[in-house]
Amino acid sequence: MKRWWMLFAVALLPLQALALSGEEAMKKSQAAFLYPGKDFKTRVMMKLINKDGQERVRELTMLRKNAGEPGGDQKYFMYFFQPADVKDMSFMIYKYPAKDDDRWLFIPAINMVKRIAAQDKRSSFVGSDFTYEDVSGRDIEDDNHVIEREEKVGNRDCYVVKSTPKGTDADFGHKFTWVDKANFLPLKEEQYDKRGNRYKLFSADEVANIKGFPTPVKRTMKNLQTGHRTEVTYVKTDYDLGIEDSLFSERYLRQPPRKWVD
Amino acid sequence: MTTKFSLVEFSIGRPKVIIAATVVLTLAFLTQFPRIKTDTNPKHMLPETSDVRVWNNEVDKVFALYEDTIVVGVENDAGVLNRETLGRMFRITGEILKLEGVASRDVNSFSTITNVTAEAGTLKVGPLMPGAPQSQAEVEALRRALFGNPLFVNRIVSPDGKTTAIYVPLEKGDNGAEIAEKIRAVLARESGPERYYIAGDPVARDTFGAEMFKLMGIFSPIAGMIMFAAIQFMFRNLALSLAMMAVAMAAIIWSMGLLIGAGFPVHIMSSMAPVFLMAIATDSIHIFNEFYFRYREKRDKLVAIRETMQAVSGPVRYTALATAAGFAVLLFMNIIPVKVFGGLIAFGTVVLRLFSFSLIPAILTFVKEAKVAKAVETESMELDRTARLLRRIGEVGATRPLATTLVGLAFLLVAIAGTSKIHVNNNLVAWFKPSSEIRVADTAMNQALGGTSLGYLVVLASEPEFMKRPEAVRWLEGLQRHLEQLPVVGKTFSVADYVKRINQVLHDDDKKYDAVPDTKEAIGQYLFLFSMSAKPSDLDNVVDSTFQKANLWVQLKTWDAEAMRQVTHAAETYQRAHPLRVAVKPAGIAYFNLVWNDEVLGDMVRGFAIALAVVFIILVFAFRSAKWALIGCMPLLSTILLIYGVVGFAGKDFDMPLSVLSTLSLGMAVDFSIHFISRFRQRLVDAVGDVQEALLWTAARPGKGIVRNAVLFAAAFSVMLFAPLTPYMAVGAFIVAMMMLSALLTILYLPALIMLGRKWLLDEPMPAADTAPARTKGG
Repeated sequence: MKRWWMLFAVALLPLQALALSGEEAMKKSQAAFLYPGKDFKTRVMMKLINKDGQERVRELTMLRKNAGEPGGDQKYFMYFFQPADVKDMSFMIYKYPAKDDDRWLFIPAINMVKRIAAQDKRSSFVGSDFTYEDVSGRDIEDDNHVIEREEKVGNRDCYVVKSTPKGTDADFGHKFTWVDKANFLPLKEEQYDKRGNRYKLFSADEVANIKGFPTPVKRTMKNLQTGHRTEVTYVKTDYDLGIEDSLFSERYLRQPPRKWVD
Repeated sequence: MTTKFSLVEFSIGRPKVIIAATVVLTLAFLTQFPRIKTDTNPKHMLPETSDVRVWNNEVDKVFALYEDTIVVGVENDAGVLNRETLGRMFRITGEILKLEGVASRDVNSFSTITNVTAEAGTLKVGPLMPGAPQSQAEVEALRRALFGNPLFVNRIVSPDGKTTAIYVPLEKGDNGAEIAEKIRAVLARESGPERYYIAGDPVARDTFGAEMFKLMGIFSPIAGMIMFAAIQFMFRNLALSLAMMAVAMAAIIWSMGLLIGAGFPVHIMSSMAPVFLMAIATDSIHIFNEFYFRYREKRDKLVAIRETMQAVSGPVRYTALATAAGFAVLLFMNIIPVKVFGGLIAFGTVVLRLFSFSLIPAILTFVKEAKVAKAVETESMELDRTARLLRRIGEVGATRPLATTLVGLAFLLVAIAGTSKIHVNNNLVAWFKPSSEIRVADTAMNQALGGTSLGYLVVLASEPEFMKRPEAVRWLEGLQRHLEQLPVVGKTFSVADYVKRINQVLHDDDKKYDAVPDTKEAIGQYLFLFSMSAKPSDLDNVVDSTFQKANLWVQLKTWDAEAMRQVTHAAETYQRAHPLRVAVKPAGIAYFNLVWNDEVLGDMVRGFAIALAVVFIILVFAFRSAKWALIGCMPLLSTILLIYGVVGFAGKDFDMPLSVLSTLSLGMAVDFSIHFISRFRQRLVDAVGDVQEALLWTAARPGKGIVRNAVLFAAAFSVMLFAPLTPYMAVGAFIVAMMMLSALLTILYLPALIMLGRKWLLDEPMPAADTAPARTKGG
């Protein structure tokens, strides 16, 4: 019996080698999730909900422009509508793979643009359960990726990829990502803490096709240890609008053009 | 009466049945013991539905606070800011974050606490020490960051830089003892000149629990052995001494078995139950005392048993009733452990009395007559010495009643002056001995840092977003400065500290901007900016999500309940001087201690009044006379006043164990009066008719029983003077003093008072009550 299994495994080996590797799956997934189109615009409606059901709202316009191929540099621009007292605040990120981001923030109350150090990608994005890393991605090279198994999420066939950080900087011990075999979107992600307990749960709750790009327009991140969760809805999402590079500057951070932020 | 007597008759007739039944029942209660649980959480002193607990839970929820936090102190005389110590702290924190049950996301240490700084025009929000410093320059940078941020000084670093703290919050329901033990293991792996301290509520509770088991497992048996030795010395008969111990042990096992079986956890109060029951069991000394005298007169064991039971049954029944009632009064208290304790001891007392009329006579039938006869010989010799002394004491009272009473009154007046100095205070940390790990840790941390006792002032506005208004933030800041003038307050912090910090940092660290900005928008945007990078809990801990409520943290340097009262008073004063449309409500463990402290006082006053009334009523029934009841109350009232006077003058905190004792001491000390007065009146009718002579006889003969009882009682409790927790020591000292004093006062003052009031007391015809069954001579 044992021997039979071994023979079977040896017979399968070449096939395995031909199949997709974990790293390739995650690369494709990152391209599909964070890099579709040359540029991208959406209105982000964010609900921060604590375990007693109390809600806080964040509303912002998010713009993104890719510098080149998927996996390369990106620029983000965010303009806040809500909460009311932060209206007109804007936030800009230059994202580089394998290097710390550059971030700037415009504080309208004192009419000041301030550079913000981005030493901690693990910190919360605008008070939500998403970290900066969850929003703009984590370098593929930072983790080892292995396809553990294949599984359905809803009616979609998925690869289940286990990613384990190579270093110690991550706030998770390991994570599993359910990557849609057809469009490579991550439909589900489970993050485990360093003690091996499940602690964060991501789900793409609704995927819409916009200009040919499958886009998760509803997503949730839930912290299982605090019971806090963040629900995100994208509205007025669009791709390839021809956003100028000059938008991503301190000048426009102070006074962003109407057409891009509305 | 008939049932009692038939029970005695049955016990004498079928002693083996009684003993077998007792053994079987005792074994049945014993089977419950393995299920024992302890509860050392001070919060459980008040019911879960009590206002303060409901409110504190709500505050914990709104501000994402933890119920339990372990504090690890690291101390280095050469200062903690060097590469070695910082490297160790970094490693230690890393290890703690990995521990199961630790709420790692909110551990605050150098390497995890959020810092807001400005460097070269860049705003930085992130951990203070993301990695262990590799160079002296990095250490110096850290030093600047630490002391440049007022949020850190006195919280995670002492002003002299020698002490730092790691705050380790625990997930709800996790075992603090286990986690503390794992932290100790982590610390043990580090070598170096640093000293480590582990403090915090969970550690205190677990230490407490261990000490409780020590009291029950080691000190109770020692108390038992001391009593055994004392009884053996008094009666020189092993069978009798064993009988007494068997009775005590059985009563303890029944009571504790019932407590555990009914699912109650053992609290600090009920952990003292074995010692109490052992002491209460000594009341049966009166039976043995009388049996010896009777046997010497009759030389017939069974007759002696019957007559003894007849003579003492009245007093013993009423003393049992008084003791049980004294403890049962505790059932009306608000403090849960006190309630449970009251019920427990009341039950035990009833069991003991049941044994007095069954098990004791049954065992007496097995006593070899020859041995009794031999022991009784020594008894008569003893009688001469002790009894003569007692007679002489009684004589002082009986022959110089007025002088004796006046001297007593003078003492009482001084004592009353002392009671006015009594200071009600519960300080849970002070319950540990100064040399205990927890006290040492607490003292060291209170000296170096802002204080280990934590209170909150929750500021409630009537509308959302209110806490972003400049006037509200400034008001909070002003309140903090006002509170910090109190010597008990070590450190405060609130949302105002974050706002000011960000304002300064945004303006290139210019001290001019260490202030609250002028617009609501600026504050809102600052806090938003902060929340973009900080840990969610940083803001959650100080404001609610709608900015309608703010939470001001007050670190206190003492666990005295009074400290929080000063804080709330200061807050009221501030609010009067600076009116703002907000309400301020105290919360937190320090506030809980204050509420609980006040409950203790209220309970004490109420309990004392009820116990006094109940005891008086029982005396009225026992003596069939209100006058005699009044006289009977005097020795014990004086005893309690005298002891309270000493407590007042000594400046000892009047805390929960003492307050409980004051109530139940009534029930225990009144025993002596009951024995004395009923036997005296019996004697007066039976024999002489001469009041003075009857008094002296009572002082000598039942008086000896009283003294034996008091000595045994005190002997049992003297063990607690060496107990590991100060409340146990206080209880031990209190009971020893109370027993000796009330025995002395009974024998000295009752004769004096009876002589003084003999016209008033004795002009009525003696009632033919069961307290005076005038059947035998010499009874």
